[in-house]
Amino acid sequence: MTRNMQRFMLTAGTALGLTLGASAALAQDCTTRIGAVLPTSVDWGRPIAETAQFVVDQVNESGGVAGCQIEMVLRDTQVDPKVGVDAAKALVDLDGVQVLLGAVSSGVSMPILTSVSVPGNVMQMSCCSSSTAFTALAREGKTSGLWFRTFATTGVQAAVAAKVAQDQGYGSVAILYKNDDWGQDIAKLTAGYLEALGIEVTGSVALNDGQPSYRAEVTSALSGNPEAAYLALYPNEGTAAVREWLSLGGTQNMILANSLKSDDFRQNVGLQYLGNALGTDTASPRVDSADDFVTRYTERFGGAPNGPGLANSYDATMIALLAMEAAGAGATGDQIAAQVGRVTDPAGTPVTADGAGFAQARQVLAAGGSVMYQGATGNVRFDANGDVSAPAVVWKFTEDGSEEVQYLSLTEVDTFMASMN
Amino acid sequence: MIGVVSYLVFFTTVAAILAIAVLGLNLQWGNTGLFNGGVVAFFGAGAYGTLILGGTPQPDHLGGFELPYLLALLGGMAAAGALAWGVGVLTLRLRHDYLAIATFGVAVAFENLMRNAEALGGGAKGLRGFERPLREALGSGFLYNLAFLAFVLVCLVLVWRSLDRLVASPFGRLLRAIREDETAARSLGKSPARIRLTAFVTGSVIMGLSGGLYATFYAFVSPQDVLPVLTFQIWAMLIVGGAGNTRGAVMGAFLIWAAWTASGWGLSRFAPVEAQLYTGSIQYVLIGLVIVGMLLWRPQGLFPERLVVSQSGREGARSTQGERQ
Repeated sequence: MTRNMQRFMLTAGTALGLTLGASAALAQDCTTRIGAVLPTSVDWGRPIAETAQFVVDQVNESGGVAGCQIEMVLRDTQVDPKVGVDAAKALVDLDGVQVLLGAVSSGVSMPILTSVSVPGNVMQMSCCSSSTAFTALAREGKTSGLWFRTFATTGVQAAVAAKVAQDQGYGSVAILYKNDDWGQDIAKLTAGYLEALGIEVTGSVALNDGQPSYRAEVTSALSGNPEAAYLALYPNEGTAAVREWLSLGGTQNMILANSLKSDDFRQNVGLQYLGNALGTDTASPRVDSADDFVTRYTERFGGAPNGPGLANSYDATMIALLAMEAAGAGATGDQIAAQVGRVTDPAGTPVTADGAGFAQARQVLAAGGSVMYQGATGNVRFDANGDVSAPAVVWKFTEDGSEEVQYLSLTEVDTFMASMN
Repeated sequence: MIGVVSYLVFFTTVAAILAIAVLGLNLQWGNTGLFNGGVVAFFGAGAYGTLILGGTPQPDHLGGFELPYLLALLGGMAAAGALAWGVGVLTLRLRHDYLAIATFGVAVAFENLMRNAEALGGGAKGLRGFERPLREALGSGFLYNLAFLAFVLVCLVLVWRSLDRLVASPFGRLLRAIREDETAARSLGKSPARIRLTAFVTGSVIMGLSGGLYATFYAFVSPQDVLPVLTFQIWAMLIVGGAGNTRGAVMGAFLIWAAWTASGWGLSRFAPVEAQLYTGSIQYVLIGLVIVGMLLWRPQGLFPERLVVSQSGREGARSTQGERQ
C-alpha cells in the first residue's frame, strides 16, 4: 500500500515536472500564427506569397516577434471570393490569427474585410488591392481602422503617367486597360489627368483577360491616330495587345503601368520595340533599404523582383510584423492595427527592412519609442483611410531588367496632383 | 472551441445558400431535363437585384432604394425570374447542348454587363453600401451569423419541402414525362413548351433566392462573384449528389463545398512547408479527381433518383399491364 502510494507520488511528481518543463520550453519557442490569403494557384500570385514568407523567415531568424516565432499559414483564394472568404474565416476561427495578409483582388479582399476581418476584429493588410471602394468604405468608418494596404492608390500612378505624357510632349494618347476594378479606376483617373493637362484622349479601350486576340480592341484604340499609348495591363494580355498594336502600325511611344514591369513582358515583346516605352511605379529606391531589398531578393530567389506587387507584399508583411512586435504578445487585431502608426512614424528612428532592422526596431519599441520603417516601396506612411501615398519613379526597360529614369519625391507628387485638381 | 463552432456556422451558411441554388438546378435538370449552363446569371440577378433594391444610396451607381429586406430579397428573386423568362422564351426550344451553350452565353454576357455597366452595378468595383438587416440589433459578430444561418436554413427547408411536394404532384409527373419523351407528352395533350418555361423560371427564381442570400451575407457583390466557375461548382454539386433527388442535391452541395474548403485547410495544415506554395494547384487537382471519380464509378450520384410509381401503377394495376405486354 505504502509502496503503491510512493510509486504513485513518484509518477505524479515526474509527470508534473515534465509538464512544467514542457510548458517552460513552449514559452521559449512559442509560435504565433498569422494568416495569408493569396491567389497561389495563379502564376503571378505565387511570388507574392513567396515574398511574404521571405519576410517571415528573416524576422524569425532575427528572433521572432514578441518572443515568439511566426508561422505564416498560407491559403489559396483561387481568385474566387467564396473560397477566399472561407479561407480567411477558417484562419481566424480555427487558427486564431489576429493578422490577415491579403488578398490581391479587390473583389476578394472586400468581402473578407466586411464579413471576416471587421466582425472578427482582425487586422487586414493587403499588398495589392487597389479599388477606390476601400477608401470610400474607410471614410464611412466601416473598416474600424483594421484595414491597410501598401499598394498606393491608383491616383499617384495615374498622375505620374499624365506627367510623363506632358514631359514627352505627346499631344494625344490612347488608353488600353485591363477590364477589372484596378484597370477601370486607373484608366478613368489617367484620362481625367490627361485632359486636365490639355492632352487629348483619343480613346479608352477595355481588354478582357484570356482572349486569343485583341485585334478588335487595338484597332479601335488606333482609330484616333494617337501619338502615344497608355497601357494599364498585366503581362499576359499586355504582350498580346502590344504585339498587335505594333503590327498594325501603332506608335512605339508607350507609357506603362507598374504591372508591366515584368521580365516576361520585356522578353516576349522584344526590347527593340520598347525603346520609347516609359513606365511608372510608386516604388521609391531613394533609401538604402530599398536597394537592399532588391539585393536580398535577388540573393534569395536568383532573380530581381520583377513582378507586380512584390515590393508591396514585402512591406505589407514587414509592417504587420512590426506592429505585432509593438503591440506585444497576445495582442488582438485592433491593438495591432493601432500600432501601425507607431512603426511608420515619420519622426521615428529609421529602421531598414531586414532582420537587422527588425532587431533594431524591437529595441526602440521596447524602450517606448517609435520607428520609421524604410521599406521596399520607400518610407511607407498610411493616411487615416489605411491608404499610402508614395513617391514615384519613371522607369524604362534595359537589357537585363529595368532602370530608373526619373524620381519624383512625395512632395513633388503631391504638388503635381494638387496642381491638377 | 468557440472558434470551431463559429467557423462551422459560417461554413453551413455558405453551404446551405449553395444548396438552394443546387435545388433550383435540380428542378431544371434533374426533373425536367433542361441543361442550364448559365446558373450564375440567375444567381447574379438575385444578388444584384437584392443589393440594388435594399442598399443605401451610392453616388456612382443605381441603387439605394432602401426597401425593407424581405421586399428586396423578393425583388432579387423577381429579377432572376424576369431574366429567366426572357431567356426562356428565346431559347427553350433549343435542345440539350444547344440550350447549354445559349444559357452559358447569357451568363457570360451578364458578367460582362455587370463589369462594364458602372451606372447599373458599380462596374468591376462591385456593389456595396448594403446594410445587413437587423445588424444593429444583433451586432456583427457570432450572434448575427447564427441568426442569419437560422434564416438561411428556414429558406432551404421551405424550398426543399415545396420542391418535394411539387415533384410528387401531377405537375412533377408531367415534368418527368417531358424529360423522358416530349413527343409522347404532347400526344397526351400537354404543352411541353409552357411547362418547360414554367420549370425554367421556377428553378431560376430559386437560384435568385440563393444569390440574394449570398449577397446579403457578404453585404457585397462584384463581377468576381458571378464568374462561370460558380456554374461549374453548382453542377458538380448536383452531379455528385444525384440529379433528380432533392436530398442528393442538398447533400451534394454540402459535400462538395466541404471538400472544396477542407482540402485547402488540410493542405495548409499538413502539407510540408516547401509544398505550401503549390497547395492551391494541388487543391484544384484533388477537386477535379473527386468529380472525375464520381462520374466514372457512380455516375448516378450518391443519392440516385428514386423512380416513383404513380397511383395508376399500383401492385394490381402493374401486373395487368404486364400481362397485356
